[in-house]
Amino acid sequence: MSQIVFDHFSFKYDAQQAPTLKDINLVIKPGEKVLIAGPSGSGKSTLGHCINGLIPFSYDGEMNGKLQIGSLEVKNSQLNEITKFVGTVLQDQDGQFVGLSVGEDVAFYYENHEVRKEDMIAGVTKTLTSVSMLEYINETPHNLSGGQKQRVSLAGVLASDTSILLFDEPLANLDPVSSKHALDLIDEIHEESSKTIIVIEHRIEDVLAHNYDRIIIMESGRIIADGSPDALLPGNILTDCGLREPLYIEALKNMGIDLKADAKVADIQNVKVYSEQVKEWFESSRTRDHSEIDPVLSLENIGFKYFEDGPEILKDISFEIPKNEILAVMGNNGAGKSTILKLISGLEKPDSGVIKLHGSSIAKWSIRKRSEKIGYVMQNPNHMITKIQIFDEVAFGLKNMGVPDAEIKERVEYTLKVCGLYKFRNWPISALSYGQKKRVTIASILVMRPEIIILDEPTAGQDFRNYTEFMSFLKDIKNEGISIVIITHDMQLALEYADRAVVLSEGRVIETSTVAEIMAKEDVMECANLRGTTLSRLAEICGIKDVRYFLENYIQFSKEVVS
Amino acid sequence: MNRSGSLYIEKESLFHRLDGSTKFLVLIGWTSFIFMFMDIRIFLVMTILGFGFLKVSKIPFRNIKPLTVFVMIFSIINSAMLILITPEYGSELSGTYTVLFEMFGKSATYETVFYALTLSMKYISILPITLLFVFTTHPSRFASSLNRIGVSYRVAYAVNIAFRYIPDVKDEMFTIMNAQEARGVAFRKGDASLPTRLRNFVTILVPLLISSLNRIEVVSNAMQLRGFGLNKKRTWFNQKNMVIADWAVIGVVILCVLLGIYMKNNMSYFWVLN
Repeated sequence: MSQIVFDHFSFKYDAQQAPTLKDINLVIKPGEKVLIAGPSGSGKSTLGHCINGLIPFSYDGEMNGKLQIGSLEVKNSQLNEITKFVGTVLQDQDGQFVGLSVGEDVAFYYENHEVRKEDMIAGVTKTLTSVSMLEYINETPHNLSGGQKQRVSLAGVLASDTSILLFDEPLANLDPVSSKHALDLIDEIHEESSKTIIVIEHRIEDVLAHNYDRIIIMESGRIIADGSPDALLPGNILTDCGLREPLYIEALKNMGIDLKADAKVADIQNVKVYSEQVKEWFESSRTRDHSEIDPVLSLENIGFKYFEDGPEILKDISFEIPKNEILAVMGNNGAGKSTILKLISGLEKPDSGVIKLHGSSIAKWSIRKRSEKIGYVMQNPNHMITKIQIFDEVAFGLKNMGVPDAEIKERVEYTLKVCGLYKFRNWPISALSYGQKKRVTIASILVMRPEIIILDEPTAGQDFRNYTEFMSFLKDIKNEGISIVIITHDMQLALEYADRAVVLSEGRVIETSTVAEIMAKEDVMECANLRGTTLSRLAEICGIKDVRYFLENYIQFSKEVVS
Repeated sequence: MNRSGSLYIEKESLFHRLDGSTKFLVLIGWTSFIFMFMDIRIFLVMTILGFGFLKVSKIPFRNIKPLTVFVMIFSIINSAMLILITPEYGSELSGTYTVLFEMFGKSATYETVFYALTLSMKYISILPITLLFVFTTHPSRFASSLNRIGVSYRVAYAVNIAFRYIPDVKDEMFTIMNAQEARGVAFRKGDASLPTRLRNFVTILVPLLISSLNRIEVVSNAMQLRGFGLNKKRTWFNQKNMVIADWAVIGVVILCVLLGIYMKNNMSYFWVLN
C-alpha cells in the first residue's frame, strides 16, 4: 500500500502562465525517509504544498492527473482530511509558532479539534517530552532559539499524530550545530514511530549524512532523478542542475578519482576504499604561501555592555580587517558577531578600546560619516530595500549625502554595470529574484565607494548556483580593492572564500588564523559551536595526519581546478 | 509593555485568579452602573472601591501612573471646555442658578462647575476597573474568555495573534532602522531636522509592510494546516474552569446592576451639593 501517489500530475498557479509542476510521477511508501532537493524555482516547495493540501485548498490553480494522499483522492477531499495524514513543519519557525507560550502552541491542533482540556495537557506533556522541551512549557517564543522553536513546531505537529511528516526547508534558518540536532531528532522520531519522513531541502550534504533511503531531484517543475543516494552521488546529476554535492564527494571527483556505484559513498566511512588515491594526490599537491597583513580597520581591546549593570557582551576584542582580503567572522549565535557590527558602524559605542581606520581612531565619527567608508549589507535584502525602482534604491545613499544629480547618475550606472544589474536599471525591484535583490543591496552600498563592506550571512537562503555566482561576484569586488568582511557560521563558505577568519565565542576572540588552520583545531571548533566540513573527515578517514595541510592544499587546488 | 506585547503583570491575587470573562463582566457591569448616574457621591464611593481593588491586586503604582495621569489631564481639559462653552448647562439640569463668575458676557454658574467636577469623577471612577482588567488578565486567557462570553473564536484568536506578533514586528522595525541608519539615513535627534527625520521614518514603512504581508501568508498557512477554522467551536489550552469565586463575583455584579436600576428610578439624575 503506497502512501503518496502522483500519477501524471501537473499543477499551474492561477497567477502564472506556465505550469509549475509538470508530469510528476512519484510513489512514496509508508515508513520511507525521503529527501526532495532542487534549486530555487524548481517546484520543490510547490510539490510540498501538494502533499500537505495547501494546494489546491489554499492556493488556487489548475490540477491535472492523479494525486492520492493516504487513502484520499485529493480532488474529492477537504484540507482537514489531508491534515489527518500529513503534518507539516514549515521553514519559518516564527511564522509557525502561533501560540503565546510553548504549551499553548503545541496544543493548537488539539484546541482546533475540540479536545478536552485534560486530554490536551496529557498530549502536550507527552509530545514535548519526545522533543526534550518539556521544561520550557511556559516559555514565550522570544526566549527560545531558532532550533528550540523548531522543536516546538515539531511537537505541535506530532500532537496531530499523522503518519506522514513533511519538513519544508527545516535547516534554512539554523546554525550548523542546531541543524545537526534537528536532523538527529527527525531520525529519532522516524526510528520510534516509523512515520514517513519527507524533507525538502537544498542543503544536501547535511541531510545525506543521516541515511536517507531516497533522494528525489527536481528541476524546472519535473522530477529528473529519483533513487538511492549511493546510486546518485557518483554521477553528475546534482552539479548539472545547480545543486551542491557533499564536499567530500566534490573533492574526490576533483582529485580525479572515479567513484563506483557499488562503493556506497553516501556513507562517508565507505570512502576508505579510495584512501590510497587520496594520499597519492596529497603527496603530489603543493602548499600555498602566506602573505603579510596590511590592515585597513583595526579593533583594539574593545569591551562592550548594553546596560551599565548588564553582562559584558564583548570582552577585550582585538582583530584587524586586512586590505584586499575576505575576512570571515565566525562563531555561534550570541557570540557577539552582530554587536561588533553595530560598534563598527557606530550604532553603538564601545565602553573601552578603540577602532582605528588607517591607524587613526574613528571614535568621534558619526554614523553617517562611517557609512561613507564602511558599508553594511544585511542578511535579508527585504530589510534594506525601501524604493520601488532599482535606480532609485542604488541612488538613495548618494542623494542623502547631497551629491549632484549628474554625478549620481554616473556613479549609479557604473555600479550597476559592476554588479551585472545595468540591464535591469529601470525595473521595479519586486520583479527581481532574491539573489538579484541581494545584489541590489550590495550595489547600493558599493556606490558609496566604501573601503570596507561587511556582509551578514551573505549566502543564507540561496541555492548553490546563486551562491557560487554571488561569491565570485564578491571576489571581483575584492579585486577592485575593497576589503570584505563576511559574518557567517558556514565553515564551507569560509574555507573556500575567506583568506582569514576570526572566531568568537562568548564575546571573546578565541582564534585568528586561516580557516584551514582553525578547522584543524578541534577545541576551537567545539568552543565556537562550529561544525567541520566533510573534507576534514575525508582526510581523517583516509589516514592523513596533517589535516590542516591537507585542507590548505585542497582549497588551493580546487581554486585552480575551477579557474 | 512586556515582551509578549501585553500589559499583563504576573502577581498572586484574587483578581489574577478570577477568569477573564468574569473580569470582563465586572468591567461591563461597573461601567453600566456608573453610566446610570450623574451623582458625585456614588462616583466617590466607586473610585475609592476601585482603587482599593487595585491595591488588593498588588499592581505597582508606577504601572498605573501613566494612564492615571492621562485620564486626569483629559478630565481637566474636558471640564474647562465644558465650562467655557456651556457655562449654564449645570443649572439647566438642576433648575437652580448660582452665579459664580462672569466671562465673555456670560455667567458661569456654581451648578455647572459642580457638573464638570461630577463628570470628571465619572471618568476617574471607571479608570481603576479598566486598569484592573488590563493588568491582571493574561492575553491568552483573555482570548479564551472573549470566546466564552460569545465572541466568535476567530475574532478572539485574532487578539492572541496580535499579542504574539507585536514584539516580532517591533524587532523587525529596529532591524530595518539599523540597516537604514548604517546607510546614512538619519533617525536620531541632532542628525537632521525634524521634518527630514519624520520623512526618513516613513521610508522604513515600505519594507516593514512587505515583510508583514509575507508573514500573514505564512501564519495563515501554518494555522490552516493545524486545523484552525475547521470546526464551529474550539477548546482552549489556557482556559480556566470557572470557580465558586467567579460565580460569586458574577452574582454580586448582577445584584449591583439591579440595585443601580432601582436607585436610578428613585433618585434625581443630577445631584448638587448645596
